[in-house]
Amino acid sequence: MDTSYSLPSSALPHAHRAHTRSQPPSLNNTWRMTVSSDSLPSQLEDDEDGCGDHDHDHDHGHSHSHLRSKGYSHSPPPLSPSFLHAHSYSYPHHGRSGSQASNASATMLQEKPLVGGIESRSQGRRNRYTPEGIDETTHNHAHNHTHSHDHSHDHDHDHDHDHEHNHNHDKHFPSHLHSHSHDHSHDHDHDHDHHHDHDHSHGVGTSTGHSHGSERSLFTRAILPYTVGWPILYSILAEKDSRRIFYFMTLNFGFMIIQAFYGYVTDSLGLLSDSIHMFFDCVALLVGLLAAVMSKWPKSQRFPYGFGKVETLSGFANGILLMLLSVEIAFEAFERLWEGTQTKRLGELFVVSSLGLAVNLVGMMAFGHHHHGHDHGHSHGHSHGHSHGEKHDHGCGSHSGHSHGHDHGHDHENENMRGIYLHVLADTLGSVSVIVSTVLTSFWGWSGWDPLASCFIATLIFLSAQPLVFSSAKRLLLTVPEGVEYNLRNILAGIGQQRGVVSYATPKFWMDDHGGEKLLGIVHVTVARGAALEDTKDRVREYLLKEGIDAVIQVERDGDNGCWCTRGRALVNPPQMSKQF
Amino acid sequence: MISEAESPQGGSQAPAAPNPFNFQTQVISTTPVKSNVGQRRGHRYKHSSVSAQHQIFQEPPPRPPPVLPASLPTPTLKEAWKSLQRDQRMRLYWGLCHVAIAMFIFYRSGGSLAAMALSHLVFFDAGSAAVCVVVDVLGNFEVWRRSSIRHPFGLERAEILAGFAMSIFLLFGGFDLLSHNLKHILESVGDHEAHHEHEHAHDHVSANSLDLVSAAAIASTLVSAYGLKNHARIAKVMRVSYLATLPSILSNPFHFFTLFFSALIALLPLLSISLYDWLDRLICAVISLAMFSLGMRVAVAQGLMLLMSYGGNRGDVGVSAVLREIESESGIARIDGAQFWQVHYGLCMANLKVIITNGYDELALGKLRNRISTLIQNRLGEGYGNGGNVRWEVTVETTVDTTI
Repeated sequence: MDTSYSLPSSALPHAHRAHTRSQPPSLNNTWRMTVSSDSLPSQLEDDEDGCGDHDHDHDHGHSHSHLRSKGYSHSPPPLSPSFLHAHSYSYPHHGRSGSQASNASATMLQEKPLVGGIESRSQGRRNRYTPEGIDETTHNHAHNHTHSHDHSHDHDHDHDHDHEHNHNHDKHFPSHLHSHSHDHSHDHDHDHDHHHDHDHSHGVGTSTGHSHGSERSLFTRAILPYTVGWPILYSILAEKDSRRIFYFMTLNFGFMIIQAFYGYVTDSLGLLSDSIHMFFDCVALLVGLLAAVMSKWPKSQRFPYGFGKVETLSGFANGILLMLLSVEIAFEAFERLWEGTQTKRLGELFVVSSLGLAVNLVGMMAFGHHHHGHDHGHSHGHSHGHSHGEKHDHGCGSHSGHSHGHDHGHDHENENMRGIYLHVLADTLGSVSVIVSTVLTSFWGWSGWDPLASCFIATLIFLSAQPLVFSSAKRLLLTVPEGVEYNLRNILAGIGQQRGVVSYATPKFWMDDHGGEKLLGIVHVTVARGAALEDTKDRVREYLLKEGIDAVIQVERDGDNGCWCTRGRALVNPPQMSKQF
Repeated sequence: MISEAESPQGGSQAPAAPNPFNFQTQVISTTPVKSNVGQRRGHRYKHSSVSAQHQIFQEPPPRPPPVLPASLPTPTLKEAWKSLQRDQRMRLYWGLCHVAIAMFIFYRSGGSLAAMALSHLVFFDAGSAAVCVVVDVLGNFEVWRRSSIRHPFGLERAEILAGFAMSIFLLFGGFDLLSHNLKHILESVGDHEAHHEHEHAHDHVSANSLDLVSAAAIASTLVSAYGLKNHARIAKVMRVSYLATLPSILSNPFHFFTLFFSALIALLPLLSISLYDWLDRLICAVISLAMFSLGMRVAVAQGLMLLMSYGGNRGDVGVSAVLREIESESGIARIDGAQFWQVHYGLCMANLKVIITNGYDELALGKLRNRISTLIQNRLGEGYGNGGNVRWEVTVETTVDTTI
């Protein structure tokens, strides 16, 4: 256990740690009590619609039977610190939010549109203090449960949990849902049994242990201990994003090998060239994986601001790649249309592309929910309906909870995952277009269907890649977004208000990649004669820190024109004036 | 990006830029004044004698005008066109020509894989020639160089971004050619008979045009290299050591590859047909591998800059040496944090937090600061010899050591 702990801890996002402490143990206990008394389910049912019912039922049944045995077995896996995070995180917010949700009753669920994660959070906090919250202690508890599950993301286990409580979650934390998708592929294998176990443990109150388990799929937990020897592999598996990419890449790669083998054996050109295509996909995924892993690397002298931009860079590269691909597809389509090449071996093509479609659909599910707020609603619905029978859907529901915590930790939007998602989407569209065009061609003998479909898909890909390219380009250019810029202007004006400050020069600020609205940068401050340099610097520093800016501040005495910033001013300003007027 | 939609009156450079001020009489909404007429209390006019004496109207605390503009107008296509100088216009036309030549080579490559690979290389050249031209034109505008709150370093980083995109094109092109080649080989292995005839037909077509193709490629490369200084900046960042000894433009890996391969392709038709078939594929494979490795290096070199790192002048080693030297200065207790990174081709930043020993006087402090910045500029600025000069903007935050 110890060793496993030590490894991932560095990789974890910061946000989580803080939360762990905040988790009030009392919540667990109360929750336990409510469960045993069976009061909870009835209440919930009253408040909420049918979907809620499902969840509850599940929990209870399971919890009792399995609690002890399974709970224990799982607790060891909890190795990963990330579990803790998840828990802690969820508690503060969810508990409250949950109460609110229950008060509002089921209707709220539907009504509440997907609110930004932050908003929902703050709501949760506010609600905490309302009298309503007190009335509904039981509810809260129930909610808490859910939360822990969500965090766990994991797919398998979580499901049960999620379902029970999902309602609350969805309303409040639409953002959570994003992440869910990851684990899908994993989950399938094992889910059912595990589900129960987890739930139980929760009921018991060993929430921490549970949460751990729930964060990852059984499969992941099973292989995780074996990977401790290979730090790289371990760090890949320990992180949610990279794990998802890794699994999908493995799937893709395996499929490629099979395809190439069969293509070789049967001498089929279609299969072989498709496996080449698959290989390129694998390379793109590998780059994405690399970026996901690298983004966790710490700052160093060589990379003074860390690797926060790696994922943006990879997203940008992926976007450009997609644009190039779409241009190439369109080119080839025109060529074919021009030359009137007949599509040969329709049957083979059909089979190959359907297989490719299947693989890519798995990928779509794995990466799909990541960036779209909209998806939340969806995933929710799914989880409920399926919770009983299907592992898949469960995975989704559980995921969402998780992602939330994570996302906050790093960044609002992960361009890397978005790029990969778009890539998989493009592949899926490609397979679909081939399937459709082969069907059309076999019905009507016209050979133009395929180029037409290709052109259509190419435009779609191009258009979908465009926003990704622009948004990541903006971040790479160190552009300050509009809202932040507005604040920054006021903050900068405030520097001049500090005692002892005569003026300031060359303020350069850019966004910190490690989350939030924080800024990094430099500013040169000119200090009036008679004011102490050191004190003035401290004042400015404090002021900027209060505003969320971590700046390197150089203080200069008024009249000392030795620094390049004064030279720059002398050079830059006059021409600017003349130009403007 | 130059977009029509933005800033219709923006171009700071354009001679015919519309006047930013509106001198026409404007009627400011009069309603609030009217409503006040009956119920006026106190003095509304701060310049009335009463106000002046009693300070009823407090001036807001004076705020200095902002040091930086919030954002600068991005030029539109029209403004960019107007701002063109004569030689810039010539360069623009040449850039278009280069693209046209690349298209020509692509279509004339016919059945020769090697010629098609060459056309990819020329496309890349044309693309970066276009980037050169655009960068040149945007340099006419203020947004490009001047920092604003919106773009703290101007837009100059966009050039690196464009270069990075071009390197993706190289990688993609390399992959694409490889897969084409593979498919070709698979096909020819699959059905020997049919393919051979195919191949022959190609030969006759391409033998004539290959010379033309390679001549066009060589000519366009040379013109771009001398006229536009194509690839000059990126080559400086990369510096491929084993090519560095070659004379002038051949030391630039991009030009080297294009020239070398087009010369090779020009020689192809001289070979016998059976040899030609395989050599064609071989050259295509070599070109694609070269594109791939070159693309990799370019992507890394520019990716480092985009990741806010400093890779020039043996990067880390140089920085460590400089830091050691700074630490050994008298009066410096230790360095609390140092960030060295490259913003774009012409600018680097060094942000240092230095703890100085107690009792250091102010005058000496200013001198110390200057010493540090000249040290950094001299050591890492690569000012001499290479002709390239990177400017270092050094910021030193000094804190007096209170622990002693």
